[in-house]
Amino acid sequence: MELNPSDIPDTRLIGYTCPHIPIEILSSTGCKPYCLLHGDYALMQQGTRYARIDACPLVRANIAYVIENKSKFAALVGTTGCDMSRRMFDILGEHTRIPVYLMHMPRTDNRQIFSNEIDWLVKQLEYLSGEKITERLVREIESWETVRRIMRELDAKRMSRPTTLLTSDFHTAAQYYYKGEVNIPTTFSEKPSSKPRVYLIGSEVSYESGDFLRLLEDDLSIVGDFVCGLSRFLNISISEKNLSGIKEAYYNQPPCIYRRPNRVFYDHVAGQIKKRICDGIIGFTLDYCDSYEFELKKMEERFRLPLLRIRTDYSFQKISQLKTRITAFGEMLAP
Amino acid sequence: MYKDPKPKKITMDEWSVRFKNIDNKTIKKFVYYNNHDWGLYLQPPATFMVYGTRELRRLRFDNSLAALRMWGFVFNESERLFRARQSGKKIVATMGDLGTVSIIVMAFPDCIPFYPECIWWTPFFNESTVLLDLASELGAPEAACFSRAALAAFVKKAYFPKPDYIFASTGATCDDYSCIMQSIEHLGYDFMWLEVPLRRSPAKHVSMDSLVKTKNGFEYPRRFEEYLIKEYEKVWQKMVEITGIDDQNLLMVSIKKANQVRTLVEKIKRTTYQAGNAPFPALELMTIEFGNLYGYADMDEWIRILEMIYETIVERTKKNIGIISEDAIPIAWVNPTADPYLLDYVERIGLRVVDTEYVINQALVEIDEQIEPFRALAQSFMQASLIGSTAQRISSINKAMRTGKIEGILITNMLGGSHCAMETKLMERLLKDKPVLAIDVPAPFGITEQIKTRLQAFAEVLHERRK
Repeated sequence: MELNPSDIPDTRLIGYTCPHIPIEILSSTGCKPYCLLHGDYALMQQGTRYARIDACPLVRANIAYVIENKSKFAALVGTTGCDMSRRMFDILGEHTRIPVYLMHMPRTDNRQIFSNEIDWLVKQLEYLSGEKITERLVREIESWETVRRIMRELDAKRMSRPTTLLTSDFHTAAQYYYKGEVNIPTTFSEKPSSKPRVYLIGSEVSYESGDFLRLLEDDLSIVGDFVCGLSRFLNISISEKNLSGIKEAYYNQPPCIYRRPNRVFYDHVAGQIKKRICDGIIGFTLDYCDSYEFELKKMEERFRLPLLRIRTDYSFQKISQLKTRITAFGEMLAP
Repeated sequence: MYKDPKPKKITMDEWSVRFKNIDNKTIKKFVYYNNHDWGLYLQPPATFMVYGTRELRRLRFDNSLAALRMWGFVFNESERLFRARQSGKKIVATMGDLGTVSIIVMAFPDCIPFYPECIWWTPFFNESTVLLDLASELGAPEAACFSRAALAAFVKKAYFPKPDYIFASTGATCDDYSCIMQSIEHLGYDFMWLEVPLRRSPAKHVSMDSLVKTKNGFEYPRRFEEYLIKEYEKVWQKMVEITGIDDQNLLMVSIKKANQVRTLVEKIKRTTYQAGNAPFPALELMTIEFGNLYGYADMDEWIRILEMIYETIVERTKKNIGIISEDAIPIAWVNPTADPYLLDYVERIGLRVVDTEYVINQALVEIDEQIEPFRALAQSFMQASLIGSTAQRISSINKAMRTGKIEGILITNMLGGSHCAMETKLMERLLKDKPVLAIDVPAPFGITEQIKTRLQAFAEVLHERRK
């Protein structure tokens, strides 16, 4: 069921990194919007040829993936969202000839900057593709809104009480979205679960993280998340089918933790944790991911729920130890 | 009046002996905030060592009165900030932008800006992990920039007074300090966040913007400058609210003063780096560069100190007298080192720093006095080190390498620092065929024989290449 890169038809890709980059604009070029979410351990090791060992594991793996598959990419679009991710494009610009477009994603609440940057991106991609993007937007918006509606239905199943859909299955479906495929699988075996309900929060879950999610779900039910690579895109809902509507929807989604100040992020997550009736939180961080590492203590104070910290470089070399910790956390939460 | 002996680097104990030759009149001549009652600061390094700056025992200092005056002033900053508070001045923390917002704050009478992140040197000067340990307790990861010491300092309340207000710049710059600032805001401090734009090179074929070119030749869209102007206007309005004063002529005066410092520092660097024999040590020079940020909380006195240092350097250059070996190899230094000892150490092993990229380019460039002041500040900031590409950041070093002025590059990193992790290998590639040594600056007490051996080997390689 999992989607492999080789399964993607021979359409060229536009690699992107940030949930604030509108995929409708990318797909209006005729290319597939392909989110750079690679966490394969071997790729990550290769990535150390281009960035130091203390660079984000996801960034290192993505660099290696893009360099290895450079012929597949028509362009790369990034933002200044996180510093390492932003600087990844410097490295890719040096090691490949793929056109790179880097948007300034405001860290503070500044709608004007975002709006101007979207206009800039449209112009760049129109030149690159030779397509009039605004003319194709309606079709692309409708197409991706349909995908998000289907994914919301799946999300409702994992949110229900008892939960009936595994987040590892949700992850499988979400991969299609992130890889630019609109025909997502919708049929999964549904089994009610009475395991402790947890909310997953933190760094990116990669395409290769299915095993990790299944490991968590041996003892816990992940009933919601605020994680790139899982369900963050469900917060995007475009009502006006044009460029203005895209700007509104993408800017108004709950901001990342690196928004300054990050109060809105906390308010959003607190609301989700309450709505999804969670017993605990999984704080998942990648090595050297400052944006989340710095905030874990604040999360414990603010959400007032048991929080299991899991830090990884995607290798999961200490899997037995990790399993024991997850099991103990599950036992602690169990009524 | 004390007369400088033959230039030399000396130890703290040697300074204690020499200090006896400095008469009281000279000691009383140098004061901060122009206050002769409690503003004295000329002390031998041993005084500051007694109060906790223990690394001074291991360092060697320039033996000029100008250098002594500089160190006395710099190590006195904490006292100075508390005195400022006692005497009714407003203390304003300007975080993250390293060198521009402070100029706006300084325009307001009796307002003292300071950069809490500069406390990152304190754990090293103090040979103490107290601040770093507390930062960890407060949630800062250990693999993050040493500027996390600032988070702990806000809790300790012993290093600087509680700021009357805080301006925090974030955006297209390093993540570590952005996270640290957010953690400080979580402590309950009153903040204004400011957006730092990206210096994006324009697309070759499609442009929706008019472009601006910096003095070093980098282009960027004018609208990014406009964003910054709006941010600076917000800072101005807040300061008007805090002080009740609204006179933009004062901003022009503040810019002129900042330019006075920047011009002096540029002259100091140029004279020192071009001299046949190094007339001033690298550690003192780094301290001088960082004075551009806010004049160590007293810009007027800092200017007088810089003038004295410049005179000393000019005199030494005229006589062609240096403080380190004549055949020391010229190198460039990238990223400031948190541990000052390294700057002293490289001179002991025959290297000489003649170019730097200390992430504060924005604080070194001259501000245009002929245009509207907020635009002038924005244009100067758009030359910042960390808001553009790595290639831009090291372009001047690359040029100097090609002309043979520099024979090697030393990069000092912090483990987990976001730009360090991503830039180092790219720099090595961009500086191809040039000797580059990149080291991680370890936590206090961490400079091992292994690190020293790597530095020695680097020095040996550079010396061998000359043969």
